[in-house]
Amino acid sequence: MTLFTKSLCSACQDVKQEFDLEMLGIKLEELGPENPGALAHLAWHELVETVETKGLPILVLDDSSSIADADEIKDYLATINKS
Amino acid sequence: MGSVVQLSSPEQEKRMQETTDMALFVHTSKEAIDGWNREKIVDALVRETYVDRDTADAISLEVEQQVLSSGIKMLTAPLIRELVDAKLIERGLEQARMMHTRLGVPLYDAEQMIMHPNKENANVPHGPEATNLTLAEGIKKEYALLNVFTQDVGEAHMRGDIHLHDLGFIDRPYCSGQSLEYLKKFGLNLPNSLAMAKPAKHPEVLLAHMVKFAAALQSNFAGAIGWDAVNLFFAPYLVDLSDREVKQLAQMLIFEFSQQAVARGGQAIFSDINLYWEVPKHFEDVPAIGPGGTYTGKTYAEYEKDAQRFVWLLFDVFKEGDASGRPFFFPKPLVHITEKFFKTPGHEKFLNHICDVAADKGNTYFVFDRGSTAKISECCRLSFKLEQSDLEDAKEPWKMRYSALQNVTLNLPRIAYRSGKDNTRLFENITEMMKITADAHSKKREFILRLLSNEKSGPLNLLTMKLDGTPYLRMHRCTYLIGMVGLNELIQYHIGQEMHESHEATKFGLEVIAHMKLVSDKLSRKYGMRFVLEQTPAESTAYRFAKLDIQYYPEEATEIVKGDLKRNEIYYTNSTLYNVGASMNPIERTRLEGRFHPIIEAGAITHIWLGESKPSKESLANFVTKTFRYTKNDQIAFSPEFTACKECGKVSRGLHEKCSYCGSEDVDGITRITGYFTRVSSWNKGKLGELKDRYRNQGQFKKQGVS
Ligand SMILES: [Zn+2]
Repeated sequence: MTLFTKSLCSACQDVKQEFDLEMLGIKLEELGPENPGALAHLAWHELVETVETKGLPILVLDDSSSIADADEIKDYLATINKS
Repeated sequence: MGSVVQLSSPEQEKRMQETTDMALFVHTSKEAIDGWNREKIVDALVRETYVDRDTADAISLEVEQQVLSSGIKMLTAPLIRELVDAKLIERGLEQARMMHTRLGVPLYDAEQMIMHPNKENANVPHGPEATNLTLAEGIKKEYALLNVFTQDVGEAHMRGDIHLHDLGFIDRPYCSGQSLEYLKKFGLNLPNSLAMAKPAKHPEVLLAHMVKFAAALQSNFAGAIGWDAVNLFFAPYLVDLSDREVKQLAQMLIFEFSQQAVARGGQAIFSDINLYWEVPKHFEDVPAIGPGGTYTGKTYAEYEKDAQRFVWLLFDVFKEGDASGRPFFFPKPLVHITEKFFKTPGHEKFLNHICDVAADKGNTYFVFDRGSTAKISECCRLSFKLEQSDLEDAKEPWKMRYSALQNVTLNLPRIAYRSGKDNTRLFENITEMMKITADAHSKKREFILRLLSNEKSGPLNLLTMKLDGTPYLRMHRCTYLIGMVGLNELIQYHIGQEMHESHEATKFGLEVIAHMKLVSDKLSRKYGMRFVLEQTPAESTAYRFAKLDIQYYPEEATEIVKGDLKRNEIYYTNSTLYNVGASMNPIERTRLEGRFHPIIEAGAITHIWLGESKPSKESLANFVTKTFRYTKNDQIAFSPEFTACKECGKVSRGLHEKCSYCGSEDVDGITRITGYFTRVSSWNKGKLGELKDRYRNQGQFKKQGVS
């Protein structure tokens, strides 16, 4: 799983602070002007337009599906955190 | 160039042989013969360069001495200039030599151009007018390299690190997009025209205005002239017309734009018409302008039916083709597929109709505008999302005028060769090349601004006309295109695999383009100019780069260039496309190539080569719908191939050596070179190499007549 975030994004910070992403096996990608790798990764998952319209954060699951809403991401992470 | 060596007449010859000392005659560019006058050298040096009079004087004396002692019988102005330039070099006055240089072509080249077709632009037929164009372009090209761009930029172009497109049209912006509303509101009212025409009252007159204006724009822009929502903006004029009359108008529109030899050097107007089945959201509530340039009291939403009637009949005409059944080369019909399209009644039938044309003749371009963001394809495949200010302009659509000022393309494989398979160096070198590109754009911008600053008395006066209060060319909305050629070959050299060979290769390709996107954004902020990535169609650039790399980087490039090296039919893969010969399922190609499209603002495209196969319209409609729903691809086009017989005039499907009707070998192929349909006989060697390699998707779609 990959969590796409950017700096200066409070919703992104919330998710990062609330969960131990590393423990959950989640890779973190921070989009920014110095990180073409993150943008390329986002494009590979066909999510560039989604981010343009819905913003960040966005969580990409192992089956390549994605969750693009901070609250839904938290709910999802809370469930896998329990299991 | 006006003074190509002229041989002297026998009388002059005699006169000169009889004269012993100073009676030298000089053939000048003014088509006259002047007597020798050393002062002319001095004057020219002082006027054209920063050389002081004493130095100029000394140089003129030396040249005079050289001329006298050489025994030359007939001098030409270019020769004197060369002799003077040699003296400037001897004195280390390099800048003065550049300023004093002469632009022109050698006799041999002029002869070649006059006698043989121009293979650089397949869109230009060969003829006296075209030769004039080519010769003038040659001079402007040299002028641009010496006088508009910095030496670094000029050299990068000459070496083939980058390609500055349309250098021969240095004094024009690249392409232009507009709507009919400008003509409907203001009539045909051009600076320098002998007669002014009021807003059209009848549809045929509006069409005549459109064609005339397109021709005027063509002489002020280097590339494509695009029109937005053509069927919608015609609609208020069509209300009282019968279907037959609308069909006639559709025929007139397509024939007018497809006729060769109507304008510049016999070059067809490179025209795009954007078409919609639905009324685009951003035009729904816009008050419609009707006959006589007055508001009809209705909004465009109320003209849906007439707009649909017109677009349907336009495709009837495309389906029929020209008098011999060949596809029309221009105008290019771009149909926008949106969420609203699928909600608009009749869309299934219309989609089948345009897919029928796509399968049969290939004309249709399917442009995908997903989500809620409005998009417009302004010109040469440059489409972009409308921002808030554009949406404001949409309320007064005559304001929607867009232009890309210049197009510069990077030779990506060469960057890989220079980077020695080292990632850091690769990305650094890409950045460096983009900086040079940005510099090229800023110089072009300065130059165009200089031309515009003379307003009515300047060469670009058409673009400074202010019928709506602002200049026709809205400089603040201009974009500057950064194109790329050969991403596939960059990846192949750098990591050892082509993009279709592994997901890793594609991912690395995405990283390269993402890097370019971020650098382009940074440069935009730095220069205060809109740099956008573009998929260069590269009809000639893909060949030029491959040839130059074989020359300068033979060790690296020999294994990498595509095509047939022995026949010199070599090329690089266009832009971010996958190897044209890779046998990929078309939906897979559309999907994978489409992953690049959201980071390439200027209308990216996937080409699906059909060869001689003719899929059913239903299978293409299904493909188009899937592409919209399940990929991020921006635009697709299907390209069939044809053989046109010059003997019997018939057209058959597929590329053949002989006419399948009369057996004649006097045939020519027709298919898309990249951005448009054209005759294969006019293609450069690189594109011929590519044509042989193209994977033709035979059997990938259901055939026509098979359910
Ligand atoms: Zn024939």
